[in-house]
Amino acid sequence: MTLEENPFGDLLQDYIVECLPLAEEVGHAFVELERRWRDGEPGDELLASVKGRLHTIKGNSAMMGLAPMRDVAHALEDACGFLGRAAARRGDEAAALLVSGGGLLVDLIGDASPETDGTAAKAFVEEVRRFLAAAPESSSAERDRRQTDRRGQPRIGEGDGAGNVVRVDFRRLDAMLELLGEGLIQHSGLTELYRRLQRRVGACPEMEELDQTVLSLQKTLTRLESTLMETRLLPVSTVFGRFPRLVRDVAHAEGKKVRLEVTGGETTLDKAVLDRLGEPLLHLLSNAVAHGLERPEDRAKAGKPPEGVLRLQAGAVSGRVAIRVSDDGRGLDADAIRARAESLGMDVRTADTAQLHNLVFVPGLSTAERVTTLSGRGMGLDVAASVIHGLGGTIDVESLPGRGTAFTLSLPVTLAIVRSLIVEVDRERYAVPLSHVAETVRAEPEAIRQINNQGVTQWRGDLIHVADGGAVLGTGGLSGAPRSYYVVMTAGARRRGLLVDRLIGHQDIVVKGLDPALGRPPVVSGTTILGDGRVACILDVVRILEGAGHVN
Amino acid sequence: MAESFLVIDDSKLLHQMYRLIFSQGDLAGSTVHYAINGREGYALLAAHAELTLVLLDLNMPEMNGLEVLARRQQERLHLHVPIALVTTESTEDDEARGREVGAWDYLRKPFQPSDIQRLVRRAREQRRERGAA
Repeated sequence: MTLEENPFGDLLQDYIVECLPLAEEVGHAFVELERRWRDGEPGDELLASVKGRLHTIKGNSAMMGLAPMRDVAHALEDACGFLGRAAARRGDEAAALLVSGGGLLVDLIGDASPETDGTAAKAFVEEVRRFLAAAPESSSAERDRRQTDRRGQPRIGEGDGAGNVVRVDFRRLDAMLELLGEGLIQHSGLTELYRRLQRRVGACPEMEELDQTVLSLQKTLTRLESTLMETRLLPVSTVFGRFPRLVRDVAHAEGKKVRLEVTGGETTLDKAVLDRLGEPLLHLLSNAVAHGLERPEDRAKAGKPPEGVLRLQAGAVSGRVAIRVSDDGRGLDADAIRARAESLGMDVRTADTAQLHNLVFVPGLSTAERVTTLSGRGMGLDVAASVIHGLGGTIDVESLPGRGTAFTLSLPVTLAIVRSLIVEVDRERYAVPLSHVAETVRAEPEAIRQINNQGVTQWRGDLIHVADGGAVLGTGGLSGAPRSYYVVMTAGARRRGLLVDRLIGHQDIVVKGLDPALGRPPVVSGTTILGDGRVACILDVVRILEGAGHVN
Repeated sequence: MAESFLVIDDSKLLHQMYRLIFSQGDLAGSTVHYAINGREGYALLAAHAELTLVLLDLNMPEMNGLEVLARRQQERLHLHVPIALVTTESTEDDEARGREVGAWDYLRKPFQPSDIQRLVRRAREQRRERGAA
């Protein structure tokens, strides 16, 4: 019976919501079990805890008519039952079998659909069967039981029903977002019109009423926006679920002992962000295993426990999502980075340790050039960083020699609607995402000094660079008059002021991508339409802070 | 009077499935109580002597289906209410143990809406017979 014929087919999303976390817990437990067995611990309570979850997955998969998931869960249940009795068979082979089955189960359930392919499941069931058959303790009663347990073909159910969850093609949510965006633009237009009208007719009951109506329209749109945004949010665990197996595989290949600790999997992100986050995170994790953590013997020499700890933490921090990948390995070698930077002709004489560390994101500067088959899949740290920047995120690295390295990512919860500060430079309007705006300051000419042809000012007790907006954006000099404000922009630890002519106000803007034919202009990440129908460019703050622009 | 049922299952997904089933045909309009574990289920059973049928999952954390049945038998709680034990590929052993502690019938996953309808019909007949006797 296919899922479509199943009377409960509409509950597929509920199935995934319930079973994926269970499968992930099973997967984590297997990775942990492998470690314990290697250390000579029995891990009996882990085996027992896993069995209940597998049983639930098996039952639920059977109810949904999802045979591949049911069979894999069943095979794992059998294997766990057997290993619970046959302590002598616990070891690397058994652990590898369980870990691969746990990973398969996560993959199958995560991608559950009417077309779920059963080939991998069949192969795994066969693998388990061979493992059990090879076992001297394999009881024929066990296998008999499995055979008599199987029911005949389930009948085709009657009747359809609507569950509380419906599956929606993500493109429809994108389309709804587009419409919402147009609504927001029309609302800004209406507000603008209201202001002009008010100037002309002055106060009267009708204007009062119009004001109230425009205000409640805004409230409605805001609520619609947050509802739609929530619909697009998924827990980061949907991406994290694949990592324990990957980390284990890389550790295996590299001869490392690694314990992965994952926290904050329930933190949510827009699906569009999540979809692009998997690869860079995968790279950071495999990089940490391959290059950050030491081999057990080297760790012993350094007085550390043989097992390295890799932490993947997610959490919401002031309206954004922070993800941290940290290890307790050898740390970055600042001297090696300096030597490599010099060999590439860079001037790093005045660079401090933190600046040297951040050079790992520069193409060609990763000191660990050796690319293993699993580590990074060819993606360098520079590529990972540029994916994060492309998402409007930042990535920073901290490292202590001998103590470890931590990469901290800060990501916008959504890509689609960005609260922005609208500014004007040389009669063009630009949107600066508010998450990157620390402050707007009236530009007093005497407060900005020129040092080495760069504007510098005191800001909150520090000296920061202040660049001319027209110079950065390539329109310098059109306005002629001195700029009246500067916007202090931040990304991670970097800060810079940008001189602008006018501050227009705050607005929720709907991000439109750039035409790929334009390539990637250095200072602009996208465009948007403002309330008055004008097109405005969205500034790529991260790249501007890195020094992009027409005059540096 | 509308009939009432009790579902005891630790899976929210199964609750959804039962909700679907109990919204169809002549089951539509009946009252269904849901419990997420055996402990909660036992409390609901104690509070509702009028239940037509209880669907009780075998495998649950905290208090499993067999424990619920055993306690109910020991405390002689609403013994007239039929309880069907719901299992996934159960063994003869499980079923024998269930019968010992008073399971009225078995339902194996995967089940279909028609399986529930059949159980409900049997439970109703039995109730009528008891009423007539």
